[in-house]
Amino acid sequence: MADNQFRALESANKAKTYFLLASMGLLTWVVAYAAMTYFGLGTASTIVPIAVGVALIGVWGSYYSSDKLVLKMTGAKLITRDDAPELFNVIEEVVIASGLPMPKVAIVEDSAPNAFATGRDPDHALIAFTTRILEVMDRDELQGVIAHELAHVANRDTLVSAVAATTAGAIAILSDFLMRMMFFGGRNRERNSNPMALALSLVILLLAPIAAVMLKSAISRKRESLADATAVSFTRNPTGLRRALEVLASDTTVVAQKSNAVAHIWIESPLDGQAVSKLFSTHPPIQERIATLRAMESLGQSDR
Amino acid sequence: MEFIVIGLLVLLVVFAIAQYNRLIRLNITVDEAFAQIEVQLKRRADLIPNLVETVKGYAAHEQSTFDAVVTARAKSTSASGIADVSAADGALTNALRGLLAVAEAYPDLKASANFLSLQEELSTTENKVAFARQFYNDNVRELNTAVATVPTNLFVGLAKVSAREFYELENPSDRTVPNVNF
Repeated sequence: MADNQFRALESANKAKTYFLLASMGLLTWVVAYAAMTYFGLGTASTIVPIAVGVALIGVWGSYYSSDKLVLKMTGAKLITRDDAPELFNVIEEVVIASGLPMPKVAIVEDSAPNAFATGRDPDHALIAFTTRILEVMDRDELQGVIAHELAHVANRDTLVSAVAATTAGAIAILSDFLMRMMFFGGRNRERNSNPMALALSLVILLLAPIAAVMLKSAISRKRESLADATAVSFTRNPTGLRRALEVLASDTTVVAQKSNAVAHIWIESPLDGQAVSKLFSTHPPIQERIATLRAMESLGQSDR
Repeated sequence: MEFIVIGLLVLLVVFAIAQYNRLIRLNITVDEAFAQIEVQLKRRADLIPNLVETVKGYAAHEQSTFDAVVTARAKSTSASGIADVSAADGALTNALRGLLAVAEAYPDLKASANFLSLQEELSTTENKVAFARQFYNDNVRELNTAVATVPTNLFVGLAKVSAREFYELENPSDRTVPNVNF
């Protein structure tokens, strides 16, 4: 039954996220260890907390006020029931199916069909739609998109991506710090004198930021697949979301502001998928997502 | 040694509280989910008089269809308890289908703004009823599993929580086996 299908998909995706988050933790530890080997314990024990602290403050602020911040960054405008009664009807339907509180709703003036969700917890959730997506999608497709966005809210994806961003940020700051110190002769007597260990830690410090960004993107991709599965658990209708993704896939216009900073929050990646390597993209290939949903459909519609 | 014993006791108490709270929380969620079904059913019942009046304006002689809807509505507003509510809900859904089928035959009616907005309201409310039902049944399933499985089942008596009834749609047309002719 499709019933078991999306539950299995959900738990598989969750398990992968935990694994990736654990890898992030491991990577941070390896970097800290490399810093210790290269610069000695004294220097490393000052720099590591500073890097983590700076990253934490930076990301925490944007996580805590994500609903307000994203409104500013994307130029979305909050709307009320009177502005779009039909849209609100469909949102209320999915809200009832998910058992979540009613989110804030916003509109982005844009000629590309797209949507996103943000907010630090379900009580501060915000979902936004571009003007174009409301024009091109029928009720079922829109329901699928709304379910996908509310799935992000239910799965606390703002929190997950904040954790990923903090770790990636800390690693980037750390590596940057240490590179500079290397050039300006920051080595001291405490450092390890084994040349192999030195070379290895240098390589780790050089490559860690790239690995961190790759892990962050992998987490984002898993959360997108998870949101698709959770969306089906809300609506029990994989067809709606699948058709919506097909509409998005066939549309070649992209959201006007391609800022990297908010790329991961849209339902379809606003960045050109072809140009960026698969390892660095924030979304799984849309054809793959469509295929997964199609597989759920062929297993038969489940009862409501 | 004492520390270990005290530590184990504390852990045991925390564990028991967690199981007890889980049962209570599930039970409350089921209550809330049922209340949501009732809210949506009431909303639908409130829409019906308006809808019947609108259709009457164009199709006055379809009296039997109107009567069926009005009777089904009266039954659904007076029903209480899961079995009654779900039976009345199913009957009303069928009667409304009949009413909308009647409307199909009147192009003027189908084009009227009043009817269109009523139809939108009705279809969204139907969806909300269906989703509220689905949410309720999912939570009943979770509660019933907790009531029947270790370790939560050990706390059922303490929490005064028991397995709940599913909201099953009493819809005769869904139950009958389709006739197959070879």
